[in-house]
Amino acid sequence: MRGSALFAACAVIAVLLQTTVLPAMAGLPAAPDLLLIFCVYLGLHQHTVGGAFGAFVLGYLQDALSGSFLGLNAFGMCLVFTLVYLTSRRLWVDNAISKIVVVFLAALVKTAAVVGLIAVFLSTDGLWRGVARYLMLEAALAAALSPPLFAVLARTRTAGARAEP
Amino acid sequence: MLDFFRTNRVVVTSGALLLLSLLLLSVSVRTQRRIDPLTGALLEGIRPLQVAVAGTATLVRRNWGRYVMVVGVAQENDRLRQRVLELEREVVRLGEAREAVTRMKALLAMKEALDGPAQAAQIIGRDPSPWFGTVTINKGEADGVTKHLAVVAPQGVVGQTISTTAHSARVLLITDHNSGVDAVVQRSRARGIVQGALDGGCVMKYLKREDDVAEGDRVVTSGLDGIFPRGVTVGVVARVSRGNRGLLQVADISPAAPLDRVEEVLVVSPGTRMGERVP
Repeated sequence: MRGSALFAACAVIAVLLQTTVLPAMAGLPAAPDLLLIFCVYLGLHQHTVGGAFGAFVLGYLQDALSGSFLGLNAFGMCLVFTLVYLTSRRLWVDNAISKIVVVFLAALVKTAAVVGLIAVFLSTDGLWRGVARYLMLEAALAAALSPPLFAVLARTRTAGARAEP
Repeated sequence: MLDFFRTNRVVVTSGALLLLSLLLLSVSVRTQRRIDPLTGALLEGIRPLQVAVAGTATLVRRNWGRYVMVVGVAQENDRLRQRVLELEREVVRLGEAREAVTRMKALLAMKEALDGPAQAAQIIGRDPSPWFGTVTINKGEADGVTKHLAVVAPQGVVGQTISTTAHSARVLLITDHNSGVDAVVQRSRARGIVQGALDGGCVMKYLKREDDVAEGDRVVTSGLDGIFPRGVTVGVVARVSRGNRGLLQVADISPAAPLDRVEEVLVVSPGTRMGERVP
C-alpha cells in the first residue's frame, strides 16, 4: 500500500514536471513522456492487476491534462503495459540497456497506437508532419531519461516494501 | 474458465481496460464533451500543485538568468553600452542633419524668392578680432564670386563680399562699422543708411527728423546702392534717438539675420531682385 502511494506521488511529480517545467525549457523542441517511463516500469515490475490499472490511470491522467480526447492516451498506455508485460515474461529485460531499448520501443508503440486511433476516430490532416518530426526525438528523450527514473522508482518500491510488515 | 481468468488476470484486465479506453474515446469524440466530472476533479486537484511548481520554475529560471549566468551579462552589458554610444552619436548626427535640412529648405525658399542668379555658400571662418565683423565663405572667383556682391541669409541681409580668392571670399557683415546698406523703413518708406556699430548691432543714420520711424518697424534694403536687391530684410528698429536739435534722427537696428550663428548664405549676383522679373 505504501509502495503504491509512493508510486502515485512520483507519478504526480512526473505529471507536474511534464506539464510545467519540461515544456518551458528553452531549446527543447519535444518533451520526454515521463508517464510512459512509469508505465513501462509497471509493465516490467508490477505484474499485477494493479499494474494494469496503474497504466490505465496514467493514460487517463495524461488525457485529462492534455488536449487529446479521453481514452486516447489511456489506450496507448494500456497497450504499452500489455506488450511490455508479455515481453518481460518471455525475454530477459532486466539490464539497463534492455530497459532503454524497451522504453524507446514503447514510445514508438504508443505513438503508433495514438496516431492509429486518431486516424480511425478523427482527422489526420497535418498530423504526419508533426509525428515524423518529433517521434524519434521524443522516443530518444524518454529512453535517455529512463535509467534515472527507473532508479528512483526502484527505490520507492524498496522503501515501500520495507515499510510493510 | 475461472482458472483461465485467474492465470491470465493481468492480460484480461489489460484487455478490458483497452476496451474501456476505446469506449471512452468513442463517447468523448461523439459528445465533444471532454471535461467529465472525474477529469474536472483531477484538474482542480492538480492545479494548485501546477501553480506552485510553475511559479518555482519561473523563479529559478529568472534568477538563473539574472545571477548565475553572469558570464554573458558583462559582455552583453559592454555590447549594449557600445550600442548606446553608437546610437547617441547617430542621434546627434541625425539631429545635425535635420537642422541642416531645415536651413537648406529656408535657403532654397530664399533662392526661389530671388528673381536672379544666386549661389549657396557656407561660412567657413569668422573674424578673430572683435573690432571687425567679417566672415569667410567657401566660394570664390572660380565659382563666379567677385567683390561687392550681396550676401543674404533666409532671415535677411548678411553683408557684402569685399575680397576674393580663387575658392573663397571675405564678407563684410552689416554689423561692421565699415559697412553701409542703403535701406528704407518698410512702413513709412523713410530712407537712411544702415551702418555697423561697434557693439555688434547696426545704426540707421541720415533719417530726417520728421520721418515716421518707430520701434518695431521693419527695415528693408532700398536696392538703390546697386549691391543689395530691393526688399530684403535688414532688421527691426530697436530704438529711435532724436536729439534736442538737429535735422536728423538715428535708429538702432537689430539685424534680422543671426550673424553670429548663420552657417549657409546666398551670394546674390548683381541685378537680382526680390520676387520681380529681370527685364
